[in-house]
Formats: sequence, C-alpha cells, structure tokens
Amino acid sequence: MNYECGCDPKLKIHCDNVSKTFIQKGNQEVPVIRNVSLDVMENEFLVVCGPGQCGKSTLLKIIAGLEIPDTGFVTLDGQPITGPGPDRGMVFQSYMLFAWKTVRDNVELGLKLRNVPANERHEIAQHYIDMVGLQGFENHYPHQLSGGMKQRVGIARAYANAPTVMLLDEPFGQLDAQTRMFMQKETARIWEQEKRTVIFVTNNIDEALFLADRIVLMEGKLPGTVKTEYVVDLPRPRDHISEALLKLRKEITDNTELVL
Amino acid sequence: MSNNIANETIDHSRNKEAWTLKRVLTNTYFLNVVSLVLFFLLWDYVAKERIFHDSLARPLDVLNQIITLVSIKYAGSTLWGHIWASTQRVLIGFFIAAVIAVPLGLFMALNSYVNAIVKPLFDLFKPMPPIAWVTIAVLWFGIGETSKVFIIVIGSFVPCLLNAYNGVRLVEPELYDVIRVLGGSRRDQIFHVCFPASFPAVFAGLQISLSVAWTCVLAAELTNSRAGLGFLIKRGMDTHKPTLVLGGMLLIAAAAWLTSQGVGILEKKLCPWKRSIENL
Repeated sequence: MNYECGCDPKLKIHCDNVSKTFIQKGNQEVPVIRNVSLDVMENEFLVVCGPGQCGKSTLLKIIAGLEIPDTGFVTLDGQPITGPGPDRGMVFQSYMLFAWKTVRDNVELGLKLRNVPANERHEIAQHYIDMVGLQGFENHYPHQLSGGMKQRVGIARAYANAPTVMLLDEPFGQLDAQTRMFMQKETARIWEQEKRTVIFVTNNIDEALFLADRIVLMEGKLPGTVKTEYVVDLPRPRDHISEALLKLRKEITDNTELVL
Repeated sequence: MSNNIANETIDHSRNKEAWTLKRVLTNTYFLNVVSLVLFFLLWDYVAKERIFHDSLARPLDVLNQIITLVSIKYAGSTLWGHIWASTQRVLIGFFIAAVIAVPLGLFMALNSYVNAIVKPLFDLFKPMPPIAWVTIAVLWFGIGETSKVFIIVIGSFVPCLLNAYNGVRLVEPELYDVIRVLGGSRRDQIFHVCFPASFPAVFAGLQISLSVAWTCVLAAELTNSRAGLGFLIKRGMDTHKPTLVLGGMLLIAAAAWLTSQGVGILEKKLCPWKRSIENL
C-alpha cells in the first residue's frame, strides 16, 4: 500500500465476525451479512463494492453505530463501538440534508450540537464549504441546489464535525454519469487534501478502482460476505481509462461471477 | 471549480420575446382575467333574463348593496362591525383550537402512550361533522358568543391535530440518523428534525382549519345571532333581499381569503425554506 509516512500503518477499524439478521413482518428472518471480518488502516481509502442488496450498507451502518450486530463486534482505535458518535462522519445516498437549514447551517450542525461557539463554528464551516467548492452558496437552501451540489454539502457537513473516519454510503448513486465522475475526482482531491480513514460503499467497480487504496468485494446474495480483496496500488490522480486501471478491472471481473 | 458548480445550477432566466397574439392568448394572467370577466357576464345575463326570477341579483346591484352597507348602520352595526363580529369569532376559535390541537398532535406522534390514550377519543369524534354540534352548543352555552366559538374550536381542532400528527409521522427516519451520527441527542432529534420537518404539514392543517372555521361561524350565525356576516345572509333571506345574501357571501369569501393570506404570510416567515406552490 501507498503510505506516505513510511511508518507502520495503524489499525483503525476492526470488524470481527460481524453478522446481522433483520426480522421482517411475520417473523421472517432475513440474514443480511454473515461473518464479515475486516480491518481498515488509518487514513486508508477502503471501498466496499458489491451489487445492490448484498448487505454493504448494513455493514456501514454497523460501523457507524446505527445498527447493532447480532454476533461479532467492531472496534475503533481498539475500543468497541456501542453507538454512533462524532468520531465517525457519514454521507448518505439520498443526501439527507435538512431542507429547513441553509447550506451553512447544515454544515455547522454537528458543531452546534456539540456547543462549539458561533464564530469558531462559522470559521470551520466556511473552511469546508470552500473545500467542497460551494463558496457563494452558503445562504442557499438545499432545494435550490443540484444533486451534485447537495452531496457536496453532505460531504462538508460530515467533514466539519472533525471525524477521524468518513463513511460514505453510495454517495453518488443518484447522480448522472458525468456529475458522478466529476464528484469522484472531487472526492479524491478532498481526501488528498485532508486525509481521513474512508469507508466508501458503492456498486460501481469503476468508481471503486478510481478511488480506492483497497477494494473489498461483497457477494451478491444475502447474507453478504466479504469475498475477495484487491489492493489498488496506483498513483493519484488516476484516470478512469488508464491502462493499469483497466487491467486491474479485467482481473477483478475475471475472478468473480458478479456482473460488475 | 466554480465554473463547474455554476453549470450545475438551474437557469431560471427567460428570454424577452415580442408581444405576439399567441403569447397574449396563452398568457396565464390574461386567461385569469378572461375567466373572471366571462363569469360575471354570465352571472349578469342570467340575472337580467330572470332565469331564477327575482332571486338572483345582478353583480352591480350586489356591489351597490355592499357600498350602501358601508355607509349606513344595519341592525345596529356598520358593515365593518358585522365583518369584525364574524372574523373575531373565527380568530378566537381558530386560535384556541390551534394552540391545543397542534401540540397535542405533535405529542401523539412522539409518544406512543399519549397516542394510545388520545387516539381512540379522537377517532370517535373525528367523523362527527362540526355542524352537528350547533344545537348541543346552544343547549350548553346559550345563544351568546361562547356557543359560536365552541363550534369553531370543535371544527378547527380536527385538521390541526391530524396534520401535526401526520407531519411528524412522515418525517424521513434517516434524518434522525444524521443527528445521531453527528453526535446529537433525542432532544436534538426532536428540535432539529422533528419539529421543523413537520412545519409545512402543520401549516397545511392550519389553512384547512381556518376554512373549516369560516364554515362553522356561518353555520352558527345562521342559526342565531344579531351580528356577523352569517346574520346578514340570514337577514337577506328573511327579508327576501338577494343582494344582501350574495353580498354577504362575497364578503365572507373576501374575509376568509384575507385570513388565509395572513396564515400564509406567517408560514413564509416561519418556513423560508419552503418552495412556494404557484397557481393554487
């Protein structure tokens, strides 16, 4: 892996044999993920890739602390995760912006909830609004923004809360292909600018290859398990159609029954 | 960077075009005016041809009647006195209903115990038309102001409560997750998500309540009253003055419209994020 400091990578997140079963109406049990074990290093960009309905979002929610696993456990910096916390920021597929708050108030919310004084809050929020390229839109409401801009707010909101881990749940799933590619470039730029441990969930293998240090492939049937891992040791900024990337893409698709 | 952003925004500007005949004929405001003018012409024609004999007054006669009422006292009150009598009843009843029903509806949606206690009672009274309370209100409170306000409270209560309740129930549950992930408490979820997210629904309920309140005040005033727009209509019927009946109807529409605009302005002040729905 490509670590700039050259020192030993520090274990950030450790999932140990995590399983989760949902009970649907009529007491029907739906096993969603089974025996998932996963290590994520500090400041690593990990992409969890798999088709729809493979339990990858559930895995992310367990790491976020929004769901409690039935068996197994997850640790963050060696401490078991018992619930959500500001040390993990999350970006949602359907943006989940607060329609009644302006861009600035959306980005500031986490800081406000933790009683950070107003002027400090503004300063931090402005920094991340600038970082995602939304300067000039601070006083807009979400409905005045396009899809790509909405997700920029979502990213800024998560970043502003100073998490050490960023969890992104198919963040560009609702965008058109061009905006999606552009947002991938932006994500790579932002991550290079302010490194965090990232777990990025997607169903798009090209997106995974473009962004990831390491790709974890999940199987396409419930319950989902981690099938294979690929290290993407390619220099950044990457090109979606570079030869090395496409070679790796072929290697991945040849080794799986999944249609990627 | 910002260029790319700018490309993503939606362009609202329209080109200035020449005033062609087609543009005039398809202009919304033009069609609004045409529709109104045709309606009044039709009304005047029907009244002039005495299709309803002498029970339909001509528009200009109705207007004259209203102007006359402004200058003279009718049954001890000026026109403003009558308008205010009705409006006052509506506002008092509507206010009492809103102050009780909206918090109760929010509470019911947030707390399953409150819901379990209040909902069966609410479901029992909900389908009862408020007008059905007119007689019992008179038996309980006499023919004074109290019975009229009571009916209005009963009528406005249901939409207020129902909309507040549904407003909270329909909040996207993932929004609560956002607060949790950001490190917020249950209290934060309620104040930063639950209440603001249900605001538009609450205001929709208030608007419905207000129009129900005007229906109720009319029903109450038609039954018994000595002032108010319902009283004017009743008087017009008793003395066979269609101008008075129609004038009263138009004035009620105007007063109800004005109060509804008032609530709309309040909503715009309190929910500046809400997209305005045009043509409704």
